[in-house]
Order: sequence, then structure tokens, then C-alpha cells
Amino acid sequence: MRYERYHIPIETVPTTAPPVPKFIITRASNCVNCGKCEKACIFGVHKRKEGDPREMADPLSHLCKNCFRCISDCPQRALTMSLGQDYRALGHGIWTPLRVSTIWGEAETGKIPVLGAGYRGMFAGPDFDGVWTDMSEIVRPTRDGIHGRETISTSVDIGRKPLFLAFDTEGALTTELAPVVELSVPMMLDATRLEAAGPDVLMGFALAAKGLDTFLLVPRDRITKELMEAAPSQIVPVLSEGTDVKSLEVDPRTRMVELCVGASWKNWAKAFAKRFPDKVLSLRVQASKGVEETVLEMLDAEVPVAHLEYDEDGREQGRGETRHAKDSLRAVHRAMTAKGVRDEITVIASGGVAAAEHVPKTIVCGADAVSLESALMVALSCRHCSTCRPSSCPASIGAAGPDWVRGRVMNMVGAWRDQMLEMLGAMGIREVRRLRGEVGRAIFYDDIQKEFLSILSGGGEHG
Amino acid sequence: MAKRPSPYTDAYPEVALAPAERLQFMNRYSVRRADTCISCGMCESLCPYGVHKRVEGHAKILPPDDRRCIGPSCEVNYFFCVANCPTKSLSVRESDNYASMGDARWPVEMIMATWRQAETGKPIPLDDPGNVGRSGGGFDKLYFKLPEAKGRFDPLKIKTAIQLNRRGSGERIEIPIPVYGGGMSFGSISVHTMVARAKAAKMWNTFICTGEGGYPDALIPYQDHVITQIATGLFGVKEQTIQRSRILEFKYAQGAKPGLGGHLLGDKNTPEVARMREAVPYTSLFSPFPFHSVYSVEDHKKHLDWAVAINPKALLSVKVSTPNDVEMVSVGSYYAGAHIVHLDGGYGGTGAAPEIAKKNIAMPIEYAIPKVHRFLINEGIRDQVTLIASGGLRTAMDVAKAIALGADGAVIGTADLVALGCVRCANCESGRGCPRGIATTDPELQAITDSGWGASRIYNMYSSWRLQWCELLHRLGMTDISELRGRFDLLSHGDNPAREVGK
Repeated sequence: MRYERYHIPIETVPTTAPPVPKFIITRASNCVNCGKCEKACIFGVHKRKEGDPREMADPLSHLCKNCFRCISDCPQRALTMSLGQDYRALGHGIWTPLRVSTIWGEAETGKIPVLGAGYRGMFAGPDFDGVWTDMSEIVRPTRDGIHGRETISTSVDIGRKPLFLAFDTEGALTTELAPVVELSVPMMLDATRLEAAGPDVLMGFALAAKGLDTFLLVPRDRITKELMEAAPSQIVPVLSEGTDVKSLEVDPRTRMVELCVGASWKNWAKAFAKRFPDKVLSLRVQASKGVEETVLEMLDAEVPVAHLEYDEDGREQGRGETRHAKDSLRAVHRAMTAKGVRDEITVIASGGVAAAEHVPKTIVCGADAVSLESALMVALSCRHCSTCRPSSCPASIGAAGPDWVRGRVMNMVGAWRDQMLEMLGAMGIREVRRLRGEVGRAIFYDDIQKEFLSILSGGGEHG
Repeated sequence: MAKRPSPYTDAYPEVALAPAERLQFMNRYSVRRADTCISCGMCESLCPYGVHKRVEGHAKILPPDDRRCIGPSCEVNYFFCVANCPTKSLSVRESDNYASMGDARWPVEMIMATWRQAETGKPIPLDDPGNVGRSGGGFDKLYFKLPEAKGRFDPLKIKTAIQLNRRGSGERIEIPIPVYGGGMSFGSISVHTMVARAKAAKMWNTFICTGEGGYPDALIPYQDHVITQIATGLFGVKEQTIQRSRILEFKYAQGAKPGLGGHLLGDKNTPEVARMREAVPYTSLFSPFPFHSVYSVEDHKKHLDWAVAINPKALLSVKVSTPNDVEMVSVGSYYAGAHIVHLDGGYGGTGAAPEIAKKNIAMPIEYAIPKVHRFLINEGIRDQVTLIASGGLRTAMDVAKAIALGADGAVIGTADLVALGCVRCANCESGRGCPRGIATTDPELQAITDSGWGASRIYNMYSSWRLQWCELLHRLGMTDISELRGRFDLLSHGDNPAREVGK
């Protein structure tokens, strides 16, 4: 087999939605059309009117980058900058305007967002914002950074892995190997909860999944023949609970099947394994309080994959006190490592993944892979409005064609993977499998802040 | 440029006012005059600040100059224009411009305060809102437990100097303020900006650092105040530049992008920059990480020995970022021969870095300083090391807090640029670079910054900072800034600084 380095091809895929400017420049009526702003602005916000160069055209606010040059150079003080109200209204919940617009940029260019000036945000924050990943200084094993000769692998294995191999006296393997699928990125595309994704969008996701060498999770009733043919080994049918396992039909090219967990999943899983020994079974469970117990039960029942579904903000579902995925996944991971069986089950986490850094952070807390949901829609210029009305969608997502969707999604995943490589490179970790559950290479705000405050209250020490 | 003697700094060069017309644009409040105005002139006759003006002989009043307006709190005054306008045509509110500038770490108040300090050299009050950011943690939640002010003080009797060499041998270098300038490369900033910083460093008898983009000839007149940085890209590192410097800085990592090499995007790699870096013009330059000759602490020792062989007199500074094991790295650096251990925290400045690296990799400096400080004490070597902190230190108070957390001094980068008129718009990385002519290599844009004017601005800012430190030390009953080091007990962590006053 010829060796090929995994690579996500990117190309610029411009949005069709109207721009949402972060800053709005307004020109007051006392402007004398002197044109100093046109000279001052290096981003092209100010232009003379086409057809009548005596007058200045309306400022192109979406090009404004907050430098205040035009405002300081205007002799009439006729220009004002204000914060774009539409921009500030983008998204809701964990989807901040910055996260939404960052994904738009990533989906358009496929590039890592690089900016000048230091960090501009909050010191720390709730959930994933309270996690820093470690970096390795000089006293670490050899590694070559991301621009070096060694590759950093982002492949993950989905399925049940034996903890050891057994051989008979003849040296023949006696361990029965369960099916395992290797995906090139630890990110699956998951349309299960994306009701707004129409057939063309799903088709685009399927093409992207093929290009990325990953899975696309789709509810079985939304899988059309065309969709299946477009990416037969990428599609993972998601079955609703209550699906009859005896009459279940699965396309032979399907590699993984997912069942939304109901009451009698243990028997279901056993029956499935018997009927489809070559397919990976994933059980999708709503992560709620005590999810670690459920995962341990799945382990006992030899279920190969547990897909933990967190809510849109990445929190456990259900009433009462719920944990964020970062704490919940750590508990799951800890429960399994305590039993010494962590590698027997693959954990996929979904929900609350709204930025590139959330992927490695989810993994460092204990997941093997994540599934991307709302982020896929945001890549298509979705604004993540609090109520989704497809008929009046400001980004006209319904009109998106499959190829455009494929390009945008591949760009976003490409940019996210590259950013994950940056983080892995900084940590001196050469494959993402090694990142899983490596909490010792993460810094948690809760812990370090406590340590810091205890040092502070410990009183002064003169060196 | 008018010069005037400073009542505070007789022992230091005079503060020269360094105003800038182009930095006078910001209006805190916005005054609107509706079309119903009949130009009666009432407002002009009332406003003592000169917001309302009519050119003599003109029928109409000019649009309000709201930069002079003191805001809605003026309503208590008899001359409040809004209340007195007979046609109710005037309104005052917070301005949109003001709300559009700054961010959580550098809020608009802090930028404006720094501009004021750079212009006048006068200190701002210790409880001025310009001293803290709004990032909700770290320095922005640390406050000094200050006793009430007690009388006047003589700044000349308060020592703010620190030693950079605390080992037994080598040149003793003392700088009169506990800060020097951080590495900003030629390419990330213009040569005018570099020279402005170098001139200011010379006036203060402190240092700036070349950054990793080489040593432009324009800096040679200031060579006693320029640190040569040896970074992973080794751009422009030559025997001459190593021999020229009194201090050499090994940059292992940078807080804004820990674990990644330096970034200079292609647009800014102009032919001049490329010549200095011996690279192809207009290609993006990503420095490797780490040093490919250093994979262990033994390699690190060898690395320092190499520089010592070329320049035996120089002090060695090791700049590292803040991983979990930062204290081990610091100790290793010391035993390898470093005089200065320079910690660059995760929220530091940069000319270009992946956004993901700025927030998410390595810990903020506030956590790293006390960790390292205590570790060095336990190791029994605290007094042989000069511990320097950087990465998100924006104001005089941040520097003082870092010292109270256990550092000896600090390295400043972004604040220098803000003194030159940076608005923190974060467009330094690509295109023509900085639209305000600071962090750019565009020949037209870089001409905006005059190095003499810039030097005065930076000098003034540090004058102002020094006076703030003096006042702080005086309030705390100290006369030397080294007494402040490691005084965790003087800091409180919380939301409400007022609560702590008088405690």
C-alpha cells in the first residue's frame, strides 16, 4: 500500500449570506466629502460614490477593523464607530458572536485564524473556558513541532479493542477480534439533532464525510438512496429506540450502526452483535447524572461504542444539578480507568462543541472522539438564532447546494484539525489517541485557582 | 514640543510633553444637536468647557465638540446645556466611539489612561479605572490592601531600581525602574518604533530587546541598551550581534503562542525585513519550535555555553513560557547558567499568533510567578536569580502586583505600543500591517511614527509608572521596591477594591 499523509484539501468557499459587520461606521451630514477618510482607511471602508465622485459613498462597514484611523483623521468629526447590533445578537447560549463569526471565517478560508496583538478575552470562564492545555518547554522528549518532519496523527479507532491478545500453543491467535474502524480525524459529522438540515445539506455533509474520511450520523428515516450511494461507508444510520433488531436491515457497506438507547438495550446489543458481527455498534445515550454507571454497564455488556449526548451547551441533560461535559467525561474516564478497562470501549461525546479548542479539550477530558452538530450548521453561515425559522432564515441555508456545503464543512474541519495539531505540537504529543484523558497535561481553572488562593492566603515570604 | 521641569523626577531626565493631534479624537460622551436648534447661542454662553462654539459672524452654531464634554453628570451644574436649551434640542449620552474601543484585557479606560500618561508623564491615581482590566480574573481581581494615604512623599527617596545580575560574577547591571522592554522583532514592528523604544530605554538606562528579527543598524547607537534575542528561528543572529550586547536573551517560548514558533506572515516580510532575516521576501516565516539543538536541559546548558564562548561578558536571560512544570524549567535554566529567568505568561502580546494559542495553551502569568518564586526559595537559590515576569502586564499596577507575587521585575511590550497610539485593534499580522503606523513595515504607514516623539511618549509613560510605584510603596510604608517582592499578604483577591481600602 502506498503511504499517503492525511491531508484535508481546502479552498476558499465564500458565503452567500449578507455580511454581519462587527463595527458600524456612520457618516454624519456635516461631511464635506474631502476624501481624507478614503486615504486613511487601508481596509477600503471609505470610497467615493460610483457615478458621482463628488460625494462619498456609504461606508462599507463590514470591512472595518476597528482601527479608528478615519475617525481620528476626519477634519469634520463626521464619522462615528459603533458596535454592530446584528453582530452582537449572533448566537445564543455558548454560541457567542465571536464563536459564530470565527467559524464563518474558518468555513470560508479553511485556515487557522491568526491575528496580531495578545489575548483579548476573559481571564477564564465556565466550562471549557476554564481549561488550558499544557505546553512542553525544553525538558521533554524529542518531537518536532508542527512544521517538522514527524507527522502528528489525528486518527482514532472506533470499536471494541481487546486489552491483550491470546494465542494457543501453536501460536495462532485465539482472541476474537471485534470490528474496529479507523477514522482519520476524531470529529464525526452528526445530523441527528439537526432538524433544519434538508436533503441537499445532508448530501453536502455526506460528501464532506467522504472527503474527510469520517462518519456522518443520520437518523435512518432521513437516509435516502442517493445519500447512501454518495458515501456508503461513511453513513452511520441512527436508529430510534424500539427498532426491532430481528427485522433490521443494514446496507452491507455500512460500518457502524447507532441505536438511541431505550430500556432493553442489553438484549438488543447482544442480538445485534450476533446478527452483524462485522459492524460496530454505538449506543447513543443522553448523558445525565450518573452517566458513568451507564457506561460501566455498557462495558460489562461488551458494547463497543458509547455515544454520550450532552445538551447544546455541553451540559448533562435532565433536571437538577447537571455537570458540564468536561467534568462528566472526566468522571466517566476515571470510572473506567479505575477498573482498568478504559480501552475496551470507545467514547464519543457530542454537544457543546462550538470552537476549535473544544475538540482537544473534550478529548483531554476523556472522550475518544467528538461529533459535530450545530457547528456544521454555523459553518453554513447559520447564525444560531434562538428560534430557528427556516422560512425566514437570514442565511438562506435551505438554498445551499451540496458542493458548497461540502466545501464549507471540509474547510471548517480542516481548520479545526490544524488548530488541534498546533495544540498537540505545543504539548509534544504526536497522536491524538495519546491525548485522551491526559488530564495531567491540562490545567483546570478550578484547581489552579484554588492553589493560587491558598498561596495568597499563606502570607508573605521574603525571598 | 514644550519642555517643562518636573516636580517629581529631578534625578531623571525631564518629562517633555508629547501630545498628538491624532490621538485627540476620542469622545467619552456624545452631544447631539437636533434640527430644532434655532442657534440662539445659549449653550455657547453657558458651557465653560467649550463644547458649543460659533464662529464669529456665522449664523449657525458649529456641531458640538463633544470631546470636551463632561457627560450627563453635568446636570447638577447650573450651566448644563441640555436643561437650559430653550428648544430642547440638545442631548448627551455615552458615545458609540468610546464603546467600540478596547477589549476585556485592555478596556478603553486603560488605553486612554496610558495615552494620558504617555503625553504628560503624570501619574494616575492608584484606584483609577485605567489601572485594571475587565477580564474578571488574575491581575484584574487582585488588589493591594492599601492603608489610607499618609502625607506627601519625596519620590527621590524611594528606590525603584532592581539588579539584573544577582549571581556572584559578571557585570552588575542595575536598572532604575523594575521594567525593561520585551522582544519585538524588526518585521513585526517598524524600525522607527524600535528606535523609539531604544531611545526611551537609553533615557531610562534600561533595556529593550531586538526580538527574533535581527539587529537593524539603526539600533547600534543604543547598543548598550539593546538585548540581542536568540530565538528558535535564529534570524539575524550573528557573532557581531551577540558580541554587541550586554544581555543575551534565549527565547525558548512566547506566552502568546507557547509551544509554537514565531509567526511573520508573508505580507509583512518586505525586502528589508527579508534581508535582515536572510529569507525570501513575501514568504511567511514560521520559526520552528523548539530549538532543534535543544531537547534536554543538558542541551540547554550547552546552548548557553555556546553564547558565553562568543560573548563571555554578557548576562544570560532565558525566556520561557508557563507550562505546568514551569518551576522545574526555571531551576534548570538557573543551573545552566542563566542570570535572568524570564517567564512569559499565556496572555502576552504578539505581532501574529493563532487565536487558539493565545487563550488555551499554558497558564496565565499570575499563576506561574508565585509557583516559581516559592520553588526557588525552597531550592535555596532565590537570591541568585532575577525573576522577570511578562505576558499580560499592562500597567504600573500590574507590574507591582507581579512583584508582590514574587517577581523581581517585569518586561513590557504592548504598553509601549499603546503609548505610541496603538488602539489594540489587532490587525498587526497581515496586509500592510498596523493602520496606525506602529507595527508595520509598510514604508508609507511607518512614517506616521516619529522616533523622537515616540521615545518621549514611552519615557513619559515610565515616568508616570515610577511615580505610581513610589506612591504605592509610600502608602505601604516601604522605601525600596525590592521590599515588595513576594508579599502575598498585601494582596487580596476579589471584586470590590473599595472593601479592602483601610483594612
